[in-house]
Amino acid sequence: MLKTILPTIMLIPLAWLSKNNMLWINSTMYSLAISITCLPLMNLSCDNSLNMSLLFFSDSLSTPLLLLTVWLLPLMIMASQHHLSKEPDSQKKLYITMMVLLQTFLIMTFSATELIMFYILFEATLVPTLIMITRWGGQTERLNAGIYFLFYTLAGSLPLLVALVYTQASVGSLNLLLIQYWNHPSIQVWGSSALWLAYMMAFMVKMPLYGLHLWLPKAHVEAPIAGSMVLAAILLKLGGYGMLRITVMLNPITNFMTYPFLMLSLWGMIMTSSICLRQTDLKSLIAYSSVSHMALVIMAIMIQSPWSFMGATALMIAHGLTSSMLFCLANSNYERTHSRTMILARGLQMILPLMAAWWLLASLMNLALPPSINLIGELFVTTAMFSWSNLSIILLGINIIITALYSLYMLITTQRGKYTYHIHNIKPSFTRENTLMMLHLTPLLLLMVKPQIILGTLY
Amino acid sequence: MFRGAVWLLAGRGSLGRGLSTRSGGWTPDWTEKVSEIKKKIQSALPGGAWHPLYDTSHLPPEHSDVVIVGGGVLGLSVAYWLKRLERPQGAIKVLVVDRDHTYSQASTGLSVGGIRQQFSLPENIQLSLFSVDFLRNINEYLAVVNDPPLDVQFNPSGYLFLASEKGAAIMENNVKVQRQEGAKVCLMTPEQLRNKFPWINTDGVALASYGLEGEGWFDPWCLLQGLRRKVQSFGVHFSQGEVTRFITSSSDMQTTSGKGVTMKRIHEVHVKMDHSLEYQPVECALVINAAGAWSGQVAELAGIGKGPPGTLEGTKLPVEPRKRYVYLWHCPEGPGLETPFVADTSGAYFRREGLGHNYLGGCSPTEEEEPDPGNLEVDHDFFQNKVWPPLAHRVPAFQCLKVRSAWAGYYDYNTFDQNGVVGPHPLVSNMYFATGFSGHGLQQAPAVGRAVAEMVLEGQFRTIDLSSFLFSRFYLGEKVEERNII
Repeated sequence: MLKTILPTIMLIPLAWLSKNNMLWINSTMYSLAISITCLPLMNLSCDNSLNMSLLFFSDSLSTPLLLLTVWLLPLMIMASQHHLSKEPDSQKKLYITMMVLLQTFLIMTFSATELIMFYILFEATLVPTLIMITRWGGQTERLNAGIYFLFYTLAGSLPLLVALVYTQASVGSLNLLLIQYWNHPSIQVWGSSALWLAYMMAFMVKMPLYGLHLWLPKAHVEAPIAGSMVLAAILLKLGGYGMLRITVMLNPITNFMTYPFLMLSLWGMIMTSSICLRQTDLKSLIAYSSVSHMALVIMAIMIQSPWSFMGATALMIAHGLTSSMLFCLANSNYERTHSRTMILARGLQMILPLMAAWWLLASLMNLALPPSINLIGELFVTTAMFSWSNLSIILLGINIIITALYSLYMLITTQRGKYTYHIHNIKPSFTRENTLMMLHLTPLLLLMVKPQIILGTLY
Repeated sequence: MFRGAVWLLAGRGSLGRGLSTRSGGWTPDWTEKVSEIKKKIQSALPGGAWHPLYDTSHLPPEHSDVVIVGGGVLGLSVAYWLKRLERPQGAIKVLVVDRDHTYSQASTGLSVGGIRQQFSLPENIQLSLFSVDFLRNINEYLAVVNDPPLDVQFNPSGYLFLASEKGAAIMENNVKVQRQEGAKVCLMTPEQLRNKFPWINTDGVALASYGLEGEGWFDPWCLLQGLRRKVQSFGVHFSQGEVTRFITSSSDMQTTSGKGVTMKRIHEVHVKMDHSLEYQPVECALVINAAGAWSGQVAELAGIGKGPPGTLEGTKLPVEPRKRYVYLWHCPEGPGLETPFVADTSGAYFRREGLGHNYLGGCSPTEEEEPDPGNLEVDHDFFQNKVWPPLAHRVPAFQCLKVRSAWAGYYDYNTFDQNGVVGPHPLVSNMYFATGFSGHGLQQAPAVGRAVAEMVLEGQFRTIDLSSFLFSRFYLGEKVEERNII
């Protein structure tokens, strides 16, 4: 793993010592090179793991997420070029440093063997994200957004620390490979339910679960584009990844503890999808759609069946790429019109046709059009949920329809119809933006061909 | 509790000082300190805007989708219709910026408040027709929950235009157009005039047109406050400040004939606070120029008119302030309650004001005698020389009257053709105009607001087609002129 972590850390001196006109080129190209060197990690069989040291390992659950993380850094750097162009050079370099730091922590998180190390880095990812949101965000509300983001996550994860330390004391080790053999606690004790809650709440807040999701629309909307991208694509998946790892050792309490969260997720998935239909702010719409998709992932992890785990991992990767792409598209709109309101910038298909093609593909992916990997994730989850309870198909079916409704609503409002007069002289699409969209889309399209790589450990 | 805390913190100092010496006179103002600390703590608690360093509640927000420069009746009307016509509701953030929150120099408050349909352009007639309908049903349009209804004091007494021999043919034509558009106007001969209005002297009058319905005068301040209240209930932000700068970006493009054009977009508006250097950059998608008499200056800030003359870039917004006087006099023998708003052949006009034999009137000066628009000082000699003689000739009872008071107000005078400018600028695509109505802006404000909101939201005029009022006519030289303005 050091072959990934050390070059990523070295991106920081690269940013600070680059010549000013080579700053963006250097950081983008080297981070792209790092992401390519990570690809060989995929070369492993599905139920085995590659143990690189006592600290780091990668298996077929963490590898796709790891690859998503390293793939996203060059994309984040490319997306931030425009809104940072007016800032002084040291600020630009500081911003790149924040992104790289976040990247390092995320790589280490996804490849951590020891759960305490996972926890420390899980918390550590909050700091660069908070700095990015509050320092470089758009509006005054970003301070509020940063506070919500920070305190929701901290409040959720403090019990997790206690639970981890307790487990370390009682089991002796928190090595992920060993705890699968841990003796299960008795189900009669209140304490084991509390332990379960302590483990899970941090990840529930991170996912986010419907009742605890208030921080997400604020943070996503107020964050700068790189912040939104990394939040939507990766940080939400930290919750899912954590849950997937921890549920291994939490049986059989999980059998009855999951019901409230399943109900919240089922209901919340429909609620947030419906909220999307009434949103006027583009970024807010994409943020709420994230909550809706992640509710599916929570449900899948809660019911703990092989199909649902496969669906959850596929959905995490697919949603990461799609959501990040939608945020980039929304940002390209925002940079031109300086407003996030959808109705003020309509009919863009006439003016920016290539961007309209990206919008179309992203929206179609978002509504889980076959044969995309979004569909694979959703379908696996839906099927597993149906076998868990026949009635849930009603809610899941309604959600699928509403997802299609709001994705198409977003597409039609921004792209189709008569264009508003005042956007007829916006700048045409930059090559950088088109590259960005293409780089988001290429993994999505290629994974359609071989989705086995993202189906996780149970394939 | 806070007072106690503050006392404790500073207690030792004052006690020590008190014990050792009484001179020096350092008396801390506890109430002020306590309220300052309270304010700081309240702004740090969740729910309020968190500004740990200083209080910024007087500044406009950092981002707004639409910034309306000018908070008079036109600006508020645009804000009202934008919020009313937007689908879905609550989508657009609107900020109204006005330099003077007392409206001391705004044309709206100083206006005589007349409304008529007797124009010669069909567009003007349609605008006034809708505005009268708006005023009649003002409590359906501008109702706010738990607030009292508005009384806009609409006196439907009609307008009476008098024409001499020369102008009679034009007047007949105008009345035909007005009737076609649906205005209720009747033509009167001098005998009919004398029968209906015995106080009038029909010497020199060949024809008169009298508005039978939907014309009269109303209280402009009430309309302004009603719009303001309703617009605030829609969630529009108000800010007091002066627009000093637009941050624009330009791109060079080519027309189909190969000529180069520079198109601009406004990205930010700098709003400067009163009596201070502090300004707030407001990021915006659209700017609406409803600054009235000062619209020309605002347009220049956006770079409109900066270019070689004769080109589209070099075409300025030809709106400038023109001062007009209004005089209030008392005449005990004057015309009674049925007096319409009379516009004489000479250009002087008057109307009844209230129920105590008071009358408002004035006259538009000729081009040579235009008063200096630098201030709003009233020239009383103008009344003696230019307003009183024609009015006294027309209404013999006015030969003895006493001037009670007088004031002056600005017209947002369009030097090109004295009619409004509505719609977007061809080059600075996100600046829309709603200005330049040269004295009939107040009466057309509700309809113009709706037209601009339709242009912004849908890209075209839906209800009243004001395409002849677009900015491009200044470049193309197509004047849309009225006959007989007041």
